[in-house]
Amino acid sequence: MNPIHSIARIAGAGLMVACLCVPSLSAAQQTRADAEKDPLLKAMLEELDRSMSQLQLKGFEKPFFIQYRIEDVDNYETKAEFGASEGSQHNHQRVARITVRVGDYKTDSSGGRGDGSLQLAALDDDPIAVRSALWTATDTAYKSALAAYAQKQAELKQVQTPPQADDFSKEKAVILLAEPMKLKLDEPVWVERVAKASGLYRTDAQVKASQHDVQYSTAEFHARVTTTWLVTSEGTIVRKPAAEYQEAIGVGTQAADGMRLDRSYASTGNSLNDLDAPEAFEKHAVGLIASLTDLRKAPLVDEEYHGPLLLSSDAGADTLRALLASGVTGTRPKLGTEARTNGPFASSYHARVLPDFLDVVDDPGLKSFDGKGLVGTYAVDDEGVPAQAVKLVTEGKLENYLIGREPVRDFPQSNGHGRAGITGAPRPSIGVLKVTAKDGLTDEELNRKLLDLGKDRGLKRVYFVETLGGELTPRLLYRVSPDGKRELVRGAELDDLDQRALRSSVEAAGKDLWVTNYFGDVPVTVLAPALLLQDATVKRANEKNEKLPFYPPPE
Amino acid sequence: MPQILFAAGRRFAAWPCKRLAICFLALALPAAAGAQRSTPVLHSANEDLSPHPSEQRSLAGDPETAGTPVVLDAMTTELHRAFTSLGKAAAATDEKQVPPYFLSYTVSDASFVAIRAQYGALVDSSANRVRVADVQVRLGDPKLDNTHGTHRGSAVNSQELPLTDDREALGRSLWLATNTGYGTALDNYLRVKTEAQVRAKEEDTSPDFSEEAPQTYIGKPAPAVAVDRTAWERRVRELSKIFREYPDVYQNMVMLTVQNETDYFTSSEGSRVVTPHLQARLMVYAVTRADDGMDLFRARTFEAETVEGLPRQAELEAAARELGKSLEALRKASVTEPFDGPAILSGRAAAVFFHEVLGHRLEGQRQRGDEEGQTFTKEVGKEVLPAFLSVADDPTLTNFGKTWLSGSYEYDDEGQKARRVDLIDDGVLKTFLMSRLPIASFATSNGHGRAQTGKLPTGRQGNLIVTSTRTEPETELRKQLIEEAKKQGKAYGLYFEDISSGFAVTTRSSPQAFQVIPLVVWRVYVDGRPDELVRGVSIVGTPLAAMKRILATGDKSEVFNGECGAESGTIPVSAVAPAMLLSEMETQKQAQGTARPPILPIPGADIAAPEKKEAK
Repeated sequence: MNPIHSIARIAGAGLMVACLCVPSLSAAQQTRADAEKDPLLKAMLEELDRSMSQLQLKGFEKPFFIQYRIEDVDNYETKAEFGASEGSQHNHQRVARITVRVGDYKTDSSGGRGDGSLQLAALDDDPIAVRSALWTATDTAYKSALAAYAQKQAELKQVQTPPQADDFSKEKAVILLAEPMKLKLDEPVWVERVAKASGLYRTDAQVKASQHDVQYSTAEFHARVTTTWLVTSEGTIVRKPAAEYQEAIGVGTQAADGMRLDRSYASTGNSLNDLDAPEAFEKHAVGLIASLTDLRKAPLVDEEYHGPLLLSSDAGADTLRALLASGVTGTRPKLGTEARTNGPFASSYHARVLPDFLDVVDDPGLKSFDGKGLVGTYAVDDEGVPAQAVKLVTEGKLENYLIGREPVRDFPQSNGHGRAGITGAPRPSIGVLKVTAKDGLTDEELNRKLLDLGKDRGLKRVYFVETLGGELTPRLLYRVSPDGKRELVRGAELDDLDQRALRSSVEAAGKDLWVTNYFGDVPVTVLAPALLLQDATVKRANEKNEKLPFYPPPE
Repeated sequence: MPQILFAAGRRFAAWPCKRLAICFLALALPAAAGAQRSTPVLHSANEDLSPHPSEQRSLAGDPETAGTPVVLDAMTTELHRAFTSLGKAAAATDEKQVPPYFLSYTVSDASFVAIRAQYGALVDSSANRVRVADVQVRLGDPKLDNTHGTHRGSAVNSQELPLTDDREALGRSLWLATNTGYGTALDNYLRVKTEAQVRAKEEDTSPDFSEEAPQTYIGKPAPAVAVDRTAWERRVRELSKIFREYPDVYQNMVMLTVQNETDYFTSSEGSRVVTPHLQARLMVYAVTRADDGMDLFRARTFEAETVEGLPRQAELEAAARELGKSLEALRKASVTEPFDGPAILSGRAAAVFFHEVLGHRLEGQRQRGDEEGQTFTKEVGKEVLPAFLSVADDPTLTNFGKTWLSGSYEYDDEGQKARRVDLIDDGVLKTFLMSRLPIASFATSNGHGRAQTGKLPTGRQGNLIVTSTRTEPETELRKQLIEEAKKQGKAYGLYFEDISSGFAVTTRSSPQAFQVIPLVVWRVYVDGRPDELVRGVSIVGTPLAAMKRILATGDKSEVFNGECGAESGTIPVSAVAPAMLLSEMETQKQAQGTARPPILPIPGADIAAPEKKEAK
């Protein structure tokens, strides 16, 4: 089954106003004394102090930096298939991640993979238990750091070109203490809701006639509340909560020729209020199931098509995330090279990466958009650096990167984008990526332009992508005739949809932004317009068509 | 979300090769517990812990299904529909589709509670319930089917099932699993047929599936897990806290796992079986490191059918203290020297030893196939042990003395009735542990086809029981050890008090060796000096030879309950044996770690010190 793709529709859906659950950080200057009122922080600070002052192996360096991060993860999932619950999981754990650096800011023990060690931590705040977990992990991390530091010294001797930036940035210490959040759910209600959603294929009057064609129908609800406590030997103390919720449904069938047809929908937000009301969700679900019937009947896409292609803002968000998100981060390049960073935009600083009418900013401070909560928002990152809005692309030119505490050439400081998955090491990542077009067009204008481009090229048809699945494969793709009539087709893939296409093929973009909240270990949000490409390739995917069911499903 | 597992647990996740028989008997670490039947993901869902409504409702007396749980009924209905449809409807259009000759559904419906503490605080407490169906599809005929040779796994396809008694949803899920399973089976069957045509005649030309009589047994479904979570959270936490008295114990974990499972089985041969399996296990695990970097661990597990059967807290606390003391003594013990001389295995150590060295080699499937070691294949009717020893495997025993046996079951995972099998009588090999995979010398199952959910059952141990007619009180055994050492001109003999996790390699490409990890070993000096604890002992040598060197046994048997992993997954097992005196045991120093002990003392060590003195 295809992974359920997380898409939050806002356009015209008349959703209720979001209750923002990212608590504001208290304005007053907070102090270590305030932090020590929290028994967990007190225990963390105590062990941190002890390690900084006493941890040293004879004949070796002491650590110059230690960070303790404890995440309290309260996670609930429930899933259902064919109209019945398959059960729920409610896990509550605390995981400590310890980072120890030896050496100095210029050259330290850090490697490419995110150094550190992990331990399960006490669920209650028992100070000895908390400190014991930190102690054993610190010991392991320190010994590994010593080995890594020696190794790095040796590697530095192997290369002529020195590193292009320091290993670790100096940042101002901050103390920010937000109140932890609790996961509060009426679990049986969600068990019932997903069971019902997964059974719509056989209970809903609009679609149940085709229930025998539905090969799978699954629904799930996932809620996660995380509280992070972070202390560093530099004096940073952070306590911050985060939450994400998602209700999702996936259905699938096969066409008569065996082609797999999958549809999925998810409603995602950082509070329960952000999710679709049950009726709205079911409406989407029924639409999804009905689309399977349309897809089964839909003709195969043309073998190959070159020409204009309109991506809806929904498809635009997926595309921009896939093509921009990893490229705009600054990560340490391979030792001995003069590279600034890695990825498709490694050498694109000050160069054009988009048409000049597009701007891109990553602004984790953006908590909501059009009344919709954004899961990618945060106040301070997972390295204890306050989040900054970063203007990545201005008039089509790449003018910035997202930086954590491992600097790259010309970017010596973090801009608050060091983000970590649960138990993971921090890495630069987008938070709320917002792509806007100067003089953006309405949907109607975009459609007209699409048809005009087709006419100019003498094409009998052009294409419109409504939604994408994984790997930028169209789920709903329409063939549009010169009179504007749309016909659903199946079995397509998009070729050449890459960074070069973004740079040189985007002819126009929409003025309305679509919000996509991506549920995940590092939740991110993309706000994106529709994109009109003047030259794209649509062709038959030619995936293996599996056998149709060997026998019919039960009556 | 990711879970942190102990390093020792990783071994479970990293079986290098399907054909290797690797058994970790000794420890039920989290991964092991997690890998038991039904791949439990442990967490809580309050509404799922209510008694299974299916059983309750149906047993209340729907006239059509009186006494039959709804899930079994739904399984039987869908199985019948699948068996009569597959390969038939499509026959006209696709001649390559063949009807199955055998179809079975096994559904494991299990609820779990897991509570875990370390360093004196709770780190996890969760509950869960999950229903998983294993669909077994066999194509061809019993002589040659899709499971032949390396294709064994192709018969099983697993699918999670609804927890509620929604017949429509149950049927639809089973259909989905059967359809996928049939596709896999078909693909493998076609390949098996091609391979059969191109290869030379096999050594063992037995069929792929034995003929057995259908079984019907509708047992009482297991009740939902009933655990006072709060009380047990406190108990588990307190046990972990005991290690604060032992500041050199760098890591500890105490874990309670309770699992109540009902297994439903239905097959195209007409079998319908419902059996419950309940198990509660408390594990205490602790680790230290010697100054030279040698890692040392101890573990104790306590098993019972339900939590009520577990020892009282005082007894558990004493056991935890004993582990703490033992580790502090071990880290200061002297390092072993290579040794080849007489030794005593305690009952517990002997039980592990027999499970590993003998038990695995008596599994039926090990006698068949080019890759197998076939140690005992041609030994039937011959003396393989000293004549005073007999070995049986008896899953029908639920207790040995007062100790509950975790390897008990009523029906095996192929729906065959469990039975006692006398493997070795008075030293003479009689038979093997048989699943429905025949071998040259034995054509039928003897109720030992076992598997973890998702795997095809193979011949496995249940409760392995070693008995002896040459018994001595253990004090006498010790005297004989000293005598034997003197006779061999050794300064001492060895006493293996506790042995852990080992593995047995029985494939031809590997040496016929076994390795178990001795945890507590003493030198028993011939000159009357006090016994001396040594560390870092590892046993080497060849299994058959080692077992033939048993001179006598103790007069009391000990039980080892554990989890055993092999090709067909991790299953609960027991082994029972008396202490044994061996004329010769070869040992060497184990490869040791080089990591230093922690640099700083464990937090709270200053507080622990006075308590520790008191404890002494």
